[in-house]
Amino acid sequence: MLDENIKNQLLTIINPERYLDQPEALACYAYDAFVEESLPDAVIFPKTTNEVSGILKIASQFKVPVTARGAGTSVCGAPIPVKHGIIVCFSKMDTILDVNTRDRYIIVQPGVVNADIQKALAPFGFFYPPDPGSMNTATIGGNIAQNAGGPRCLKYGVTVDYVLGLEVVLASGKIIRFGSKNVKDVTGYKLTSLFCGSEGTLGIVTEAILKVRPLPETTKTLMVMFDDLDNTARAVTDIIGSGILPAAMELMDQMTLTAIEDAANLGLDKTAQGSLLIELDGVEEACEKEMKQIIEKVKENGATHIQEANSESQRQNIWTARRAAYGIFAKLAPDIMSEDVTVPVSKVPAMIRKIVAIAHKYRLKVGVLAHAGDGNMHPMIPTNKADRDEWHRVKKAFDEIFEAAAQLDGTLSGEHGIGLAKSKYLPLVMNQDTIDFMKIIKKAVDPDNILNPGKFA
Amino acid sequence: MTPKVPPNCGKCGLCLNVCPVYKQMKEEQASPRARMQLIRAHKNQTIASSPYLKEIMSKCLMCGSCTANCPSGIDHYSAFMKMREQMAEDHGEPAAVKSLIYLLARDYRTRWGSTLARTGQKLLPKKIAESYKLGNIALKNMPRLNAVPFRNTCEEIILPDTQKPDRQKPDTPKTDTKWQNIQRQGSDKETGTVAYFTGCATNYIYDDVGLATVGILKRMGYKIIIPKNQTCCSIPLLFHGAKKQAQKNIETNIEALKGLKVDAILVDCSTCGEALKHIYPSFFNKNDPASHHAIAIAQKIGDVLSFIDDHFDRLTFNASPKEKPVVTYHAPCHSKNSFQSHTTIENLIKKLPFVIYKKTCDTEECCGGGGTFFYEFPKVSKEMTDKKINNAKAIHATQWLTDCPVCRMNLSGNLKKEDNLIIKHPLSLIYSALKPL
Repeated sequence: MLDENIKNQLLTIINPERYLDQPEALACYAYDAFVEESLPDAVIFPKTTNEVSGILKIASQFKVPVTARGAGTSVCGAPIPVKHGIIVCFSKMDTILDVNTRDRYIIVQPGVVNADIQKALAPFGFFYPPDPGSMNTATIGGNIAQNAGGPRCLKYGVTVDYVLGLEVVLASGKIIRFGSKNVKDVTGYKLTSLFCGSEGTLGIVTEAILKVRPLPETTKTLMVMFDDLDNTARAVTDIIGSGILPAAMELMDQMTLTAIEDAANLGLDKTAQGSLLIELDGVEEACEKEMKQIIEKVKENGATHIQEANSESQRQNIWTARRAAYGIFAKLAPDIMSEDVTVPVSKVPAMIRKIVAIAHKYRLKVGVLAHAGDGNMHPMIPTNKADRDEWHRVKKAFDEIFEAAAQLDGTLSGEHGIGLAKSKYLPLVMNQDTIDFMKIIKKAVDPDNILNPGKFA
Repeated sequence: MTPKVPPNCGKCGLCLNVCPVYKQMKEEQASPRARMQLIRAHKNQTIASSPYLKEIMSKCLMCGSCTANCPSGIDHYSAFMKMREQMAEDHGEPAAVKSLIYLLARDYRTRWGSTLARTGQKLLPKKIAESYKLGNIALKNMPRLNAVPFRNTCEEIILPDTQKPDRQKPDTPKTDTKWQNIQRQGSDKETGTVAYFTGCATNYIYDDVGLATVGILKRMGYKIIIPKNQTCCSIPLLFHGAKKQAQKNIETNIEALKGLKVDAILVDCSTCGEALKHIYPSFFNKNDPASHHAIAIAQKIGDVLSFIDDHFDRLTFNASPKEKPVVTYHAPCHSKNSFQSHTTIENLIKKLPFVIYKKTCDTEECCGGGGTFFYEFPKVSKEMTDKKINNAKAIHATQWLTDCPVCRMNLSGNLKKEDNLIIKHPLSLIYSALKPL
């Protein structure tokens, strides 16, 4: 619990109804979807930028840590308050301030849920491309903090590619605004890129101007089966290498396919060693032409079965299989570990071979699932944390998976962020000078280290 | 590959956006994920039992949406029920809930309570009835209780309609004779036999639903058995942690329903259905003979609307009016999550030739009623209910159909006269349009 004096000062700017510090309530803000937990001392639900500014002024005066939180769906521990202090929860600051599809932007408060942005845009024939798996729950503030991605980011890019402007409250409580409503804007440092993905360590986003796009005219979906996982991965490299850019390209291995088929009976071929779900969108004619090219490419790589969705319901069926994967894996064992290492697309076959070999070495089951078109791997290892020996092997396996990705010119995270989960691996992909440079920036904007301390370190 | 150990909550948070209470309150402690975490923390003794912990556990509609949507297959529903039992033991229940449990735990008490309440409704000075509220619902907007409990008005075995023309108009019965029509003897067209579990709401509050159920099933050619000894399904008791009292009721109902030679055992309330179909079979130890009977009963449980949908061609309707009324549907949580009957019911309503069906933008959202939730947490409940009402008004519906008595009570209790909207059970609508033989 916070010092009585600090609490009283906070209560002069926040309605007590939006201030929680009962132990039962605090326990509910100690976690996200990552394994670790740490209790905050207080939880505050701001409704305005001025309230956020007021909270930070008090926090910086007393050097109390402040961690921003949206819906707590981060999978890397980003909003876990490891140094305790205040959780600023944005779930009630959730107004869509402006929908302007003529100028192609939307202005939102940080607590707006990603799916609600899609709902607000759909009647105008527009959408907001980043589509993280948690989009029905996750808030846009969290998406920006983690620079979230999703399957269709292969073609459209991740969150940072859609942030036109931000309003940010700094550790001092000062409110800054940068970027604008313009798609083209080279005025000053590109601060949107600095804050996007900074996981709340540099400032707290209180408003965002986001770029939106018209919905594509057509969507074409294809499910392809292979009798060899290596061929599956090579087909990915070939298609992307030939210049075609599908909206999504999802790879699943035999273990994943079998688990899905056993649980959901969707008619998947359990003998297939690998599969690709490929989705194209855009103008009808272009999609048709590219679809033909893709079919040729997968045939060249030994596709054993090709199914094109003829209707929306068939398309949904194909996606149902892909979306069910995580849930079905989650049911295979008490716990499931998944990461999001990413490699250049030409290295996808090599990376998959590595993942399989590492899992084999540590006697673990692994399901290989990937947003393969952009090299974003999601190896999933079902495990039981209570089994200490196995848990130890799982950790070892992930250490080696990260090392393997780094050796293949890859990176630690494609879309989840670093948080608590991956900060120890930073030296694998950054030299000390680069890490020091990040520290210099941090020190300059947050000298007392009150903003989400314990992350990136 | 089946797991040896039950799954742990992966804290993914996908239950947040399907939880009606979280969506309204936007606070983590109101979410299924938080309740699971707190249950675990309480077990590990890092969080002590407290009235506030009990409040967090009670601030849940027990709608089952989290369980139905959890990717890891967590059974929140059972975990919450167990925790509520613990909380009720530690901290007791509010007086109103306690008396509800007392009444529902024995059928004679429920009967006695409803008689008293009905007398009370009659004697209550108008001024008081208008100014007092139960939760958000003004007493004057609470439903009138049945004059006589439904089951007392009918025989235990009811024979199907004959093909012979009937002198009395069956669909506009006089109060005294309404059951004479229903219980007419002498069938020459018996299609099969069904049992009818009426639930407390039909028995004590909404006898129009019982009347419609029996009327429609008879018309379809079914012999109907309404076992006399049935009692409250126990869900309200289990939700408030009164497991002991619940067990008595469950045993009574199993006794009343076991071994019946029927094609189906039908319910008009999906919450009763949830109890009979999903809770009874796992309530007892596997070796207990009651468990064996419960499983056999569960296999026959179905909701009466889906049953009607299966045999829709057996019904003929009056000529449709020139101006068909616009109707819409509110899908109760238990129809959606436990019984999965809501789409069938919605499609059945769409098929009715004498109405125009319009969907609201939030047909499947919870109305905020949730058993006693509307009474215990009126503020959150009211915000949810008002949203529903505004969306139903927006499509200019004049009749709002729903197959759950609590939704019906909650929605109609919060409607104003000028809203020009009546709440009905779909069965009543269907029954009122049946063509006389």
